[in-house]
This record gives sequence, C-alpha cells and structure tokens, in this order.
Amino acid sequence: MIWEVFRQEKSGGYHKHCGNVHAPDRELALQFAAIQHGRRMKTHSLWVAPQREIGEIDADEMSFGGMTDKTYRWATSYTDIEPAAPEVAESEAEQADVEHSLEADS
Amino acid sequence: MDLETVKERAGPRQFAPKDDMPEKYRKAATRMIQFHANSEVMGGYLEKPFIRQAPSIDRKLAFSAKVQDEIGHAQLLYRAAESLGIKTREEMLDELANGEGKFLNCFHYPMESWHEVPMIAFFVDGAAMHRQATLKNTSWTPYAHAMDKVCFEEGFHVKHGESILSELMNGSKATQEKTQEAFELWWPRIIQFFGPTNDKSVHNDFAQQVGLKTKSNDELRDTFLDTYVPKAEKYGLEIPEYPRIEYDEAEETYHVNEDDLDWDEFWTIAKNDSEGSHEQIGSRAHAQAAVEWVRESMDSWEQASNTGTPQAAD
Ligand SMILES: [Fe+2]
Ligand SMILES: [Fe+2]
Repeated sequence: MIWEVFRQEKSGGYHKHCGNVHAPDRELALQFAAIQHGRRMKTHSLWVAPQREIGEIDADEMSFGGMTDKTYRWATSYTDIEPAAPEVAESEAEQADVEHSLEADS
Repeated sequence: MDLETVKERAGPRQFAPKDDMPEKYRKAATRMIQFHANSEVMGGYLEKPFIRQAPSIDRKLAFSAKVQDEIGHAQLLYRAAESLGIKTREEMLDELANGEGKFLNCFHYPMESWHEVPMIAFFVDGAAMHRQATLKNTSWTPYAHAMDKVCFEEGFHVKHGESILSELMNGSKATQEKTQEAFELWWPRIIQFFGPTNDKSVHNDFAQQVGLKTKSNDELRDTFLDTYVPKAEKYGLEIPEYPRIEYDEAEETYHVNEDDLDWDEFWTIAKNDSEGSHEQIGSRAHAQAAVEWVRESMDSWEQASNTGTPQAAD
C-alpha cells in the first residue's frame, strides 16, 4: 500500500506534500516516512494518508483562478489607490506575487 | 497541558489540534473564532443586496467577488473553530440562526444606500484587516492559517472600498453631502468595532495571556485611528465632533473619549437584542432555512456513500 507523506518544517507551519512510501499499515507508514523524509530535511511533524484516499482535480478538468479575466478582484488593479495601511500593502504584495507567477506560466 | 504551561508557552502558532489543550483554552478560542466566523457571514449578508444595487458592472463584479470571499472566510473560520472540539459547524450555524450566535456590532445595523457602502467596505473592512493582521500570530495554529488566507484576500476589499469612497467624494456636492451624512452615522459604530476599553472587556485578559490575541482593544483602536482618521480627512470627510478624538502628542497616537459613545446600544447589540439584530438574524435564518434541502440532500448522500466503506474488524 502507498502512503502520501506531508512534512511540516516547524511548529505552526503548513504540512506540505513531500513524497510517498510503501507500508502495510499506518504505523509503519509513519516510521518509514520518518526515515525517508524526516531524516535529512528539517522536520517538526509528518502526516501520512493512504494514497487512494486522496482526491485530485487538475487544470485539464477545471479552470482554476487566474485563467479568466478577474482583475477586479485583485488589490493591484486599484492603481489609483495607495494602500491605506501596512497590512493592506502586505496583502497587495502577496497578491502581486501570485499574479506574477500566473503570468509567468501563461 | 495545564493552564500554567499554556501561559508559559503562549506565542504565535504554538498550539495545534494534536496538543492536549485545557478546556478553558478551547472554550475561549471557540468563542473568539465562532464570533469571527459569524461576523463574516453576517457581513456578507449585509453587503449582498449591493451586488444588485452597484452602479456599474465593475463594481458589481467586485462586490459579488467580495461577498463570495466573506462567505469563504466564514467557512475557513468554522473549520478552525471546529478543530477545538467544542462545537460542530452545524451547531454554530444553528446558534447563528436562532439568535444565540454573537457577531460584530457593525453588522447589526441596516445598510440602505450606496453612500453607506464604503463605511463598511473601507472602514469596517479596514478595521477588520487591522485586527486580522495581528491574528496571524495567534497561538491556535488553525486560526493563524485561516488568517493567512483571509489577509491575502482582504487587501482587495479595503482598496475596493476606498476606491468607492474616493469616487463618491469626488462626485457632485449632493453626493459628497450624503456620504458625509453616512459617515457621521457610521463613525461611532466603526470606533466601537474594537469594543470597550480593556478594563471593561470581559474576555480580553485571558485571551491575551494564552496568546489567542496579541494586541489589546485599546492598542488596535488607537493604531486604527492613526491610519484611518487622516485617510477620512484626505477624502474631505469631516470627523464628527463626538465622540471626541484627541491626538496625544507624547504617545503620537489618537485616543477616543469613550464616554461619548453609546455603550447601552453597544451592549444591547452584544445581546443580539436591537431592532437591527432581529432584522439581520431573521433574514439570515430565513435564507438558511430556504436552502435546508441542499444540506439535507448532501447529508443523505454522505451517509449513503459511507455505508460502502468497510468497517474495521474487531
Ligand atoms: Fe472577511
Ligand atoms: Fe472583507
């Protein structure tokens, strides 16, 4: 059986997919994951989930955000407005990053 | 984990669902996140009619995107609240419908004209974002993760709201006057967004001790005023004489004279007992009942597909 492995680098962070392992049950999957994925990389916690329990939908089946013109929902579109506060500027910067990566892909 | 340990370890993203948290922590966090989630729902409902009333196609698109975002924020937050193991999403939604669920004071008032829109979309979203940015450092990790996504989206809300304000304040004299009127009506409510001064607020201390909150009501209100008073003035809005707001030269921050605010009204609202509360809760409950059949059919579908899963042998 195959188990997908998710690694969290530090406490409070996100568990991000990092690979998978063969194992007959959850307990061994955790041990194998710890050996294969937690030994070298900085690790605070690991999750395992059976591969068959994972659902997927991809860009062939679905048009995800950024594929159609939705400029009205980006802070960056309101060019005549200066961000009112630091937290607004921060949000706008995060959005700009995503916009750039969408542009780079298309 | 006992309460002493919790207070010692309290810090940004310190606690997660796998930690054995004391009931007092879990209840306080549930109360706070449920309130936040409810407020997202009620804010979304208050703004929903303005998708239809928006004066241009751009505003309409932006408004419908914004309302979608708010309902999405509520969903994220109910998940974060559920992860504390005190209440289910179902229970929290029912509490909101039957009038037990508490939510932000500003969303208990009717909003009728387009001139009022930036009072919510700029000032209240601005206030909310000001607070939410500090909650990225809350001690309950699922809450902090929800804030990452919420803050990512909120920048658009605040700028969109400010763009509406700018447009109105550059409009005809009559438009400017109506906007000023709306501002005078909403301004005290916006200040009350941050609640009463620290010593009057009941849950404040504990929430700060265990790291659920990182800033006090007072700090948040003052720094909000520092940014948004000059903004209002920049667009030509006049700050009403009451509540008195004074600039403290030494501390370089604004303070509000709390006695000038209507706290009876605030506490009536906090009990969901104002006329507006009944109105807003009632119309939301009505909407929830109208789509009961959707939830029911999803539940029965879920049950039907679950019976296919093999049971563990014992
Ligand atoms: Fe929101
Ligand atoms: Fe918002």
